[in-house]
Amino acid sequence: MLMLLSQDSLTINNLADNFDMSRPAVSKHVKILHTAGFIAIEDVGRERYCTLKKDGFDELHAWLTYFDQFWASKLKNLENLLNKHNDTTRHPN
Amino acid sequence: MAKIINHQYFFSHPVEMVWEYLTTSELMAQWLMKNDFQPIVGHDFQFRTGPIASLDFDGIFHCKVLAIDPLKKLSYSWQSGPGEGKITLKSVVTWNLQAKDNGTEVFLDHRGFEKAENLDFYNGLMHGWVEKLTKIDNLLNTAQHGHTNA
Repeated sequence: MLMLLSQDSLTINNLADNFDMSRPAVSKHVKILHTAGFIAIEDVGRERYCTLKKDGFDELHAWLTYFDQFWASKLKNLENLLNKHNDTTRHPN
Repeated sequence: MAKIINHQYFFSHPVEMVWEYLTTSELMAQWLMKNDFQPIVGHDFQFRTGPIASLDFDGIFHCKVLAIDPLKKLSYSWQSGPGEGKITLKSVVTWNLQAKDNGTEVFLDHRGFEKAENLDFYNGLMHGWVEKLTKIDNLLNTAQHGHTNA
């Protein structure tokens, strides 16, 4: 169920189509996953849409990607600066 | 997904010089960010850069010096948030230096990432999968059972 929701938001009926279970059984599963904090439920018109809750996960992933590039670039800066420092020391104007 | 960022970098400069650039505020500003760092354990300081709206970041990293072992190790906490002192991301940056014959090997370790708001969910996802899934499985079995009996 979580795998399906990782692709797209689905209504409880959409979800039920993917399982060999009754709609009330699917509803029960959804309720438990919602209580456990894995999915969000939003009412749109007469349908209930289920969405995988991954906001925090995505933002942390974005930060990790950001810092990885950040440090690579900063270390390069440091190397350039150290090289410059040496040049000035060796060839003072 | 690993929650640790590691970089290893070799500088063809003596360890004393690299250490100076890692621990002197004015020099750090030239390659890293503007800051009010002081090489004193327990010193609170900030790095300042541009805000990043998509990351809910106001442009200030709030840091505290955690450990200093001259020419060998430097560690500081590294926190940020959307502003007004609110912290939503916590982490720790540690530098380890090794003097070599022809320069300095630098090991950067940035880890301990915690998203304050979604920490429970993240932990559930990354560390407690088996436990969580077992729990869900039990709950689902009970629900299924209950349904069958209903």
